[in-house]
Amino acid sequence: MSSAPVALHAARQQWIGVLARAHRGELSGHEAALRDTEYQLIRAPEIGMTLVRGRMGGTGAPFNLGEMSVTRCVVRLADGRTGYSYLAGRDKAHAELAALADAHLQGSQQARWLSELIEPLARSQAARRAKKDAETAATKVEFFTLVRGED
Amino acid sequence: MSTTLLQPAFADPVLDAQRSFRAALKALAGPGLVQPLEQAPPLQGLAPASYALCLALLDGDTPLWLAPAFDTPTIRANLAFHCGCAIVSHREQARFALLDDSELGDLQGFDLGNDRYPDQSCTLLIQLPQLDGGRPLAWRGPGIQHQNRVALPLSEGFWRERKARNDFPRGLDAFFLAGHSVIGLPRSTRINCLEPTPLAEEFA
Repeated sequence: MSSAPVALHAARQQWIGVLARAHRGELSGHEAALRDTEYQLIRAPEIGMTLVRGRMGGTGAPFNLGEMSVTRCVVRLADGRTGYSYLAGRDKAHAELAALADAHLQGSQQARWLSELIEPLARSQAARRAKKDAETAATKVEFFTLVRGED
Repeated sequence: MSTTLLQPAFADPVLDAQRSFRAALKALAGPGLVQPLEQAPPLQGLAPASYALCLALLDGDTPLWLAPAFDTPTIRANLAFHCGCAIVSHREQARFALLDDSELGDLQGFDLGNDRYPDQSCTLLIQLPQLDGGRPLAWRGPGIQHQNRVALPLSEGFWRERKARNDFPRGLDAFFLAGHSVIGLPRSTRINCLEPTPLAEEFA
Protein backbone atom coordinates (compact mmCIF):
# COMPACT_ATOMS: atom_id res chain seq x y z
CA MET A 1 0.00 0.00 0.00
CA SER A 2 1.34 3.45 -0.84
CA SER A 3 1.74 6.07 1.85
CA ALA A 4 -0.89 8.55 0.58
CA PRO A 5 -3.94 6.34 1.34
CA VAL A 6 -2.41 5.42 4.68
CA ALA A 7 -2.00 9.09 5.63
CA LEU A 8 -5.55 9.81 4.46
CA HIS A 9 -6.78 6.88 6.53
CA ALA A 10 -4.97 8.12 9.62
CA ALA A 11 -6.30 11.65 9.15
CA ARG A 12 -9.84 10.33 8.85
CA GLN A 13 -9.40 8.12 11.92
CA GLN A 14 -8.21 11.16 13.79
CA TRP A 15 -11.19 13.38 12.90
CA ILE A 16 -13.73 10.58 13.43
CA GLY A 17 -12.22 10.13 16.90
CA VAL A 18 -12.42 13.85 17.62
CA LEU A 19 -16.05 13.94 16.49
CA ALA A 20 -16.91 10.96 18.66
CA ARG A 21 -15.34 12.49 21.76
CA ALA A 22 -16.82 15.95 21.20
CA HIS A 23 -19.48 17.16 23.59
CA ARG A 24 -22.92 17.46 22.07
CA GLY A 25 -23.05 21.20 22.78
CA GLU A 26 -19.85 21.80 20.85
CA LEU A 27 -21.28 20.17 17.74
CA SER A 28 -24.71 21.80 17.95
CA GLY A 29 -23.04 25.15 17.29
CA HIS A 30 -22.20 23.87 13.81
CA GLU A 31 -25.54 22.15 13.26
CA ALA A 32 -26.87 24.66 10.71
CA ALA A 33 -23.68 24.51 8.62
CA LEU A 34 -23.53 20.71 8.82
CA ARG A 35 -27.14 20.23 7.78
CA ASP A 36 -26.93 22.82 5.01
CA THR A 37 -26.74 20.21 2.25
CA GLU A 38 -28.90 17.58 0.63
CA TYR A 39 -28.36 14.22 2.28
CA GLN A 40 -30.07 10.95 3.04
CA LEU A 41 -29.68 8.56 5.90
CA ILE A 42 -28.27 5.27 4.67
CA ARG A 43 -28.31 3.94 8.20
CA ALA A 44 -30.46 6.08 10.45
CA PRO A 45 -28.92 6.66 13.89
CA GLU A 46 -29.30 3.46 15.88
CA ILE A 47 -28.30 2.44 19.38
CA GLY A 48 -26.63 -0.87 20.10
CA MET A 49 -24.32 -2.59 22.50
CA THR A 50 -20.71 -3.52 22.10
CA LEU A 51 -18.49 -5.67 24.25
CA VAL A 52 -15.43 -3.90 25.57
CA ARG A 53 -12.44 -6.17 26.05
CA GLY A 54 -9.23 -5.35 27.79
CA ARG A 55 -5.82 -6.82 28.55
CA MET A 56 -4.36 -6.55 32.02
CA GLY A 57 -1.43 -4.17 31.76
CA GLY A 58 -2.01 -3.98 28.01
CA THR A 59 -0.23 -7.28 27.41
CA GLY A 60 -2.04 -9.93 29.47
CA ALA A 61 -4.73 -12.35 28.38
CA PRO A 62 -7.86 -10.61 27.04
CA PHE A 63 -10.83 -10.39 29.37
CA ASN A 64 -14.33 -8.99 28.95
CA LEU A 65 -14.56 -5.66 30.70
CA GLY A 66 -18.27 -5.16 30.10
CA GLU A 67 -20.78 -3.92 27.59
CA MET A 68 -21.33 -0.31 26.62
CA SER A 69 -23.93 1.39 24.50
CA VAL A 70 -22.84 2.69 21.11
CA THR A 71 -24.70 4.84 18.60
CA ARG A 72 -23.87 4.71 14.92
CA CYS A 73 -25.05 6.47 11.80
CA VAL A 74 -24.23 6.63 8.09
CA VAL A 75 -25.29 9.46 5.80
CA ARG A 76 -24.79 10.06 2.10
CA LEU A 77 -24.62 13.50 0.55
CA ALA A 78 -26.14 14.26 -2.83
CA ASP A 79 -22.74 13.90 -4.54
CA GLY A 80 -22.27 10.35 -3.21
CA ARG A 81 -19.87 11.00 -0.34
CA THR A 82 -20.67 8.85 2.68
CA GLY A 83 -20.03 9.86 6.25
CA TYR A 84 -19.82 7.37 9.12
CA SER A 85 -19.98 7.85 12.84
CA TYR A 86 -19.66 5.55 15.83
CA LEU A 87 -19.81 7.03 19.30
CA ALA A 88 -20.21 5.98 22.88
CA GLY A 89 -23.57 6.66 24.46
CA ARG A 90 -27.11 7.01 23.18
CA ASP A 91 -27.18 10.44 21.54
CA LYS A 92 -28.72 9.97 18.08
CA ALA A 93 -28.56 13.65 17.11
CA HIS A 94 -24.86 13.72 17.92
CA ALA A 95 -24.31 10.61 15.78
CA GLU A 96 -26.06 12.21 12.82
CA LEU A 97 -24.06 15.44 13.10
CA ALA A 98 -20.80 13.53 13.44
CA ALA A 99 -21.61 11.46 10.33
CA LEU A 100 -22.44 14.63 8.40
CA ALA A 101 -19.17 16.18 9.50
CA ASP A 102 -17.26 13.10 8.33
CA ALA A 103 -18.94 13.37 4.91
CA HIS A 104 -18.13 17.08 4.64
CA LEU A 105 -14.53 16.44 5.64
CA GLN A 106 -14.01 14.14 2.66
CA GLY A 107 -14.95 16.85 0.16
CA SER A 108 -13.23 19.81 -1.45
CA GLN A 109 -13.84 22.02 1.60
CA GLN A 110 -11.78 19.75 3.84
CA ALA A 111 -9.29 22.44 4.94
CA ARG A 112 -12.07 24.80 5.99
CA TRP A 113 -13.88 22.09 7.98
CA LEU A 114 -10.65 21.01 9.60
CA SER A 115 -9.77 24.50 10.75
CA GLU A 116 -13.30 25.53 11.77
CA LEU A 117 -14.57 22.33 13.32
CA ILE A 118 -11.99 19.66 14.05
CA GLU A 119 -9.07 21.74 15.33
CA PRO A 120 -11.09 23.72 17.92
CA LEU A 121 -12.72 20.48 19.07
CA ALA A 122 -9.35 18.76 19.33
CA ARG A 123 -7.93 21.70 21.29
CA SER A 124 -10.78 21.73 23.81
CA GLN A 125 -10.53 17.95 24.18
CA ALA A 126 -6.79 18.20 24.81
CA ALA A 127 -7.45 20.92 27.42
CA ARG A 128 -10.11 18.78 29.14
CA ARG A 129 -7.79 15.83 29.15
CA ALA A 130 -4.88 17.84 30.55
CA LYS A 131 -7.11 19.22 33.31
CA LYS A 132 -8.32 15.74 34.21
CA ASP A 133 -4.77 14.38 34.17
CA ALA A 134 -3.67 17.18 36.47
CA GLU A 135 -6.54 16.42 38.85
CA THR A 136 -5.68 12.75 38.82
CA ALA A 137 -1.97 13.39 39.31
CA ALA A 138 -2.74 15.42 42.45
CA THR A 139 -4.29 12.35 44.08
CA LYS A 140 -1.43 10.04 43.24
CA VAL A 141 -0.17 7.99 46.17
CA GLU A 142 3.40 6.65 46.18
CA PHE A 143 3.46 3.30 47.92
CA PHE A 144 6.62 2.16 49.63
CA THR A 145 7.43 -0.34 52.31
CA LEU A 146 8.95 0.74 55.59
CA VAL A 147 11.72 -1.35 56.96
CA ARG A 148 10.10 -3.81 59.30
CA GLY A 149 11.83 -4.29 62.61
CA GLU A 150 12.40 -8.01 62.30
CA ASP A 151 16.14 -8.04 62.24
CA MET B 1 -14.99 2.69 -3.43
CA SER B 2 -18.31 0.97 -3.09
CA THR B 3 -19.81 3.47 -0.67
CA THR B 4 -21.39 5.50 -3.49
CA LEU B 5 -23.59 2.47 -4.26
CA LEU B 6 -25.18 2.29 -0.82
CA GLN B 7 -28.93 2.76 -0.54
CA PRO B 8 -31.18 3.07 2.49
CA ALA B 9 -32.82 -0.18 3.61
CA PHE B 10 -35.68 -0.64 6.11
CA ALA B 11 -37.19 2.64 7.29
CA ASP B 12 -37.61 1.15 10.77
CA PRO B 13 -34.87 -1.48 11.07
CA VAL B 14 -36.25 -3.30 14.12
CA LEU B 15 -39.98 -3.43 13.39
CA ASP B 16 -39.62 -3.93 9.64
CA ALA B 17 -37.21 -6.81 10.17
CA GLN B 18 -39.65 -8.36 12.64
CA ARG B 19 -42.59 -7.96 10.24
CA SER B 20 -40.59 -9.52 7.42
CA PHE B 21 -39.50 -12.41 9.63
CA ARG B 22 -43.11 -12.94 10.64
CA ALA B 23 -44.15 -13.05 6.97
CA ALA B 24 -41.42 -15.62 6.29
CA LEU B 25 -42.64 -17.78 9.20
CA LYS B 26 -46.23 -17.59 7.96
CA ALA B 27 -45.12 -18.43 4.43
CA LEU B 28 -43.43 -21.64 5.60
CA ALA B 29 -46.25 -22.50 8.02
CA GLY B 30 -48.85 -22.25 5.26
CA PRO B 31 -47.11 -23.44 2.11
CA GLY B 32 -48.55 -22.04 -1.10
CA LEU B 33 -50.37 -19.08 0.45
CA VAL B 34 -49.23 -15.64 -0.67
CA GLN B 35 -47.95 -13.46 2.17
CA PRO B 36 -47.36 -9.72 1.77
CA LEU B 37 -43.79 -8.55 2.23
CA GLU B 38 -43.66 -4.86 1.51
CA GLN B 39 -41.36 -3.32 4.11
CA ALA B 40 -38.24 -2.85 2.01
CA PRO B 41 -37.57 -0.50 -0.88
CA PRO B 42 -36.52 -2.08 -4.18
CA LEU B 43 -32.82 -2.37 -4.87
CA GLN B 44 -31.46 -2.44 -8.40
CA GLY B 45 -32.34 -5.92 -9.68
CA LEU B 46 -33.87 -7.11 -6.40
CA ALA B 47 -37.62 -7.06 -5.83
CA PRO B 48 -38.78 -5.42 -2.57
CA ALA B 49 -39.85 -8.83 -1.25
CA SER B 50 -36.44 -10.38 -1.97
CA TYR B 51 -34.61 -7.46 -0.41
CA ALA B 52 -36.86 -7.53 2.68
CA LEU B 53 -36.18 -11.22 3.23
CA CYS B 54 -32.43 -10.70 2.79
CA LEU B 55 -32.47 -7.86 5.31
CA ALA B 56 -34.50 -9.91 7.81
CA LEU B 57 -32.69 -13.24 7.50
CA LEU B 58 -29.05 -12.52 6.69
CA ASP B 59 -26.34 -11.51 9.10
CA GLY B 60 -22.71 -12.19 9.85
CA ASP B 61 -23.40 -15.89 10.55
CA THR B 62 -25.13 -16.68 7.26
CA PRO B 63 -22.91 -17.02 4.19
CA LEU B 64 -24.86 -16.20 1.04
CA TRP B 65 -24.48 -17.56 -2.48
CA LEU B 66 -25.55 -15.17 -5.23
CA ALA B 67 -26.76 -16.29 -8.64
CA PRO B 68 -24.80 -14.52 -11.42
CA ALA B 69 -27.87 -12.39 -12.22
CA PHE B 70 -27.72 -10.86 -8.73
CA ASP B 71 -23.96 -10.63 -8.47
CA THR B 72 -23.76 -6.88 -9.11
CA PRO B 73 -21.64 -4.31 -7.27
CA THR B 74 -24.79 -2.60 -5.96
CA ILE B 75 -26.30 -5.77 -4.49
CA ARG B 76 -22.97 -6.91 -3.07
CA ALA B 77 -22.27 -3.53 -1.47
CA ASN B 78 -25.72 -3.15 0.07
CA LEU B 79 -25.98 -6.70 1.40
CA ALA B 80 -22.48 -6.45 2.85
CA PHE B 81 -23.32 -3.12 4.47
CA HIS B 82 -26.83 -3.74 5.79
CA CYS B 83 -26.62 -7.47 6.55
CA GLY B 84 -22.90 -7.95 7.07
CA CYS B 85 -23.16 -11.40 5.47
CA ALA B 86 -20.26 -13.09 3.74
CA ILE B 87 -20.84 -13.72 0.03
CA VAL B 88 -19.38 -17.09 -0.91
CA SER B 89 -18.47 -18.44 -4.32
CA HIS B 90 -19.09 -22.11 -3.51
CA ARG B 91 -22.65 -23.34 -3.09
CA GLU B 92 -21.54 -25.88 -0.46
CA GLN B 93 -20.62 -23.10 2.01
CA ALA B 94 -23.86 -21.16 1.72
CA ARG B 95 -26.64 -21.10 4.33
CA PHE B 96 -28.80 -18.98 2.01
CA ALA B 97 -28.85 -18.70 -1.76
CA LEU B 98 -30.41 -15.96 -3.82
CA LEU B 99 -31.56 -17.40 -7.15
CA ASP B 100 -33.39 -16.25 -10.22
CA ASP B 101 -35.50 -18.50 -12.44
CA SER B 102 -32.64 -19.28 -14.83
CA GLU B 103 -30.80 -21.15 -12.05
CA LEU B 104 -33.57 -23.53 -11.09
CA GLY B 105 -32.70 -26.36 -13.45
CA ASP B 106 -29.64 -27.18 -11.35
CA LEU B 107 -29.72 -27.18 -7.56
CA GLN B 108 -26.56 -29.22 -7.21
CA GLY B 109 -24.14 -28.39 -4.45
CA PHE B 110 -26.46 -26.74 -1.93
CA ASP B 111 -26.18 -28.08 1.61
CA LEU B 112 -29.12 -30.37 2.43
CA GLY B 113 -28.29 -30.52 6.13
CA ASN B 114 -27.62 -33.85 7.79
CA ASP B 115 -29.74 -36.33 9.66
CA ARG B 116 -28.74 -34.93 13.02
CA TYR B 117 -29.06 -31.25 12.00
CA PRO B 118 -31.45 -31.04 9.03
CA ASP B 119 -31.99 -27.37 9.90
CA GLN B 120 -28.47 -26.61 8.69
CA SER B 121 -29.54 -26.93 5.07
CA CYS B 122 -29.27 -24.05 2.62
CA THR B 123 -32.46 -22.00 2.28
CA LEU B 124 -33.27 -20.89 -1.26
CA LEU B 125 -34.58 -17.37 -1.91
CA ILE B 126 -35.95 -17.57 -5.43
CA GLN B 127 -37.00 -14.40 -7.20
CA LEU B 128 -39.55 -14.87 -9.97
CA PRO B 129 -41.20 -12.36 -12.33
CA GLN B 130 -44.58 -13.20 -10.76
CA LEU B 131 -46.06 -15.84 -8.47
CA ASP B 132 -48.73 -17.23 -10.81
CA GLY B 133 -49.27 -18.02 -14.45
CA GLY B 134 -47.57 -21.42 -14.46
CA ARG B 135 -49.03 -24.90 -14.47
CA PRO B 136 -51.33 -25.31 -11.45
CA LEU B 137 -50.14 -27.95 -9.02
CA ALA B 138 -51.68 -29.35 -5.86
CA TRP B 139 -49.60 -28.80 -2.73
CA ARG B 140 -50.28 -31.10 0.21
CA GLY B 141 -48.63 -31.71 3.53
CA PRO B 142 -48.08 -30.13 6.94
CA GLY B 143 -49.73 -26.72 7.23
CA ILE B 144 -52.24 -27.44 4.46
CA GLN B 145 -55.69 -28.73 5.43
CA HIS B 146 -56.65 -30.35 2.13
CA GLN B 147 -54.66 -29.03 -0.76
CA ASN B 148 -53.46 -25.69 -2.04
CA ARG B 149 -53.58 -24.94 -5.73
CA VAL B 150 -50.43 -23.06 -6.66
CA ALA B 151 -49.41 -22.06 -10.18
CA LEU B 152 -45.83 -20.89 -9.86
CA PRO B 153 -44.18 -20.22 -13.21
CA LEU B 154 -41.55 -22.91 -12.80
CA SER B 155 -40.09 -25.41 -15.20
CA GLU B 156 -40.36 -29.17 -14.69
CA GLY B 157 -36.62 -29.13 -14.13
CA PHE B 158 -37.01 -27.39 -10.77
CA TRP B 159 -39.49 -29.95 -9.44
CA ARG B 160 -37.26 -32.78 -10.62
CA GLU B 161 -34.25 -31.20 -8.89
CA ARG B 162 -36.21 -30.62 -5.71
CA LYS B 163 -37.44 -34.21 -5.63
CA ALA B 164 -33.94 -35.53 -6.28
CA ARG B 165 -32.62 -33.57 -3.28
CA ASN B 166 -35.49 -34.30 -0.91
CA ASP B 167 -34.40 -37.05 1.43
CA PHE B 168 -36.45 -36.25 4.53
CA PRO B 169 -35.45 -34.89 7.00
CA ARG B 170 -32.73 -33.57 4.72
CA GLY B 171 -33.80 -31.28 1.93
CA LEU B 172 -34.18 -27.74 0.68
CA ASP B 173 -36.66 -25.10 1.86
CA ALA B 174 -37.53 -22.36 -0.58
CA PHE B 175 -39.15 -18.95 -0.64
CA PHE B 176 -40.58 -17.70 -3.94
CA LEU B 177 -40.49 -13.94 -4.18
CA ALA B 178 -41.98 -11.48 -6.62
CA GLY B 179 -42.84 -7.82 -6.21
CA HIS B 180 -44.22 -7.45 -2.69
CA SER B 181 -45.21 -11.08 -2.09
CA VAL B 182 -43.73 -14.33 -0.88
CA ILE B 183 -44.77 -17.98 -1.05
CA GLY B 184 -43.02 -20.56 1.10
CA LEU B 185 -42.21 -24.12 0.08
CA PRO B 186 -40.80 -26.21 2.94
CA ARG B 187 -39.23 -29.58 2.23
CA SER B 188 -42.20 -31.33 3.84
CA THR B 189 -44.70 -30.23 1.18
CA ARG B 190 -45.73 -32.86 -1.37
CA ILE B 191 -46.43 -31.69 -4.90
CA ASN B 192 -48.92 -33.48 -7.15
CA CYS B 193 -50.29 -32.81 -10.58
CA LEU B 194 -53.73 -31.28 -10.33
CA GLU B 195 -55.25 -32.81 -13.42
CA PRO B 196 -54.09 -36.11 -14.80
CA THR B 197 -51.63 -35.39 -17.56
CA PRO B 198 -50.50 -37.86 -20.18
CA LEU B 199 -47.40 -38.48 -18.14
CA ALA B 200 -49.25 -38.50 -14.80
CA GLU B 201 -45.98 -37.54 -13.21
CA GLU B 202 -45.68 -37.17 -9.47
CA PHE B 203 -43.19 -34.97 -7.79
CA ALA B 204 -41.92 -35.52 -4.30
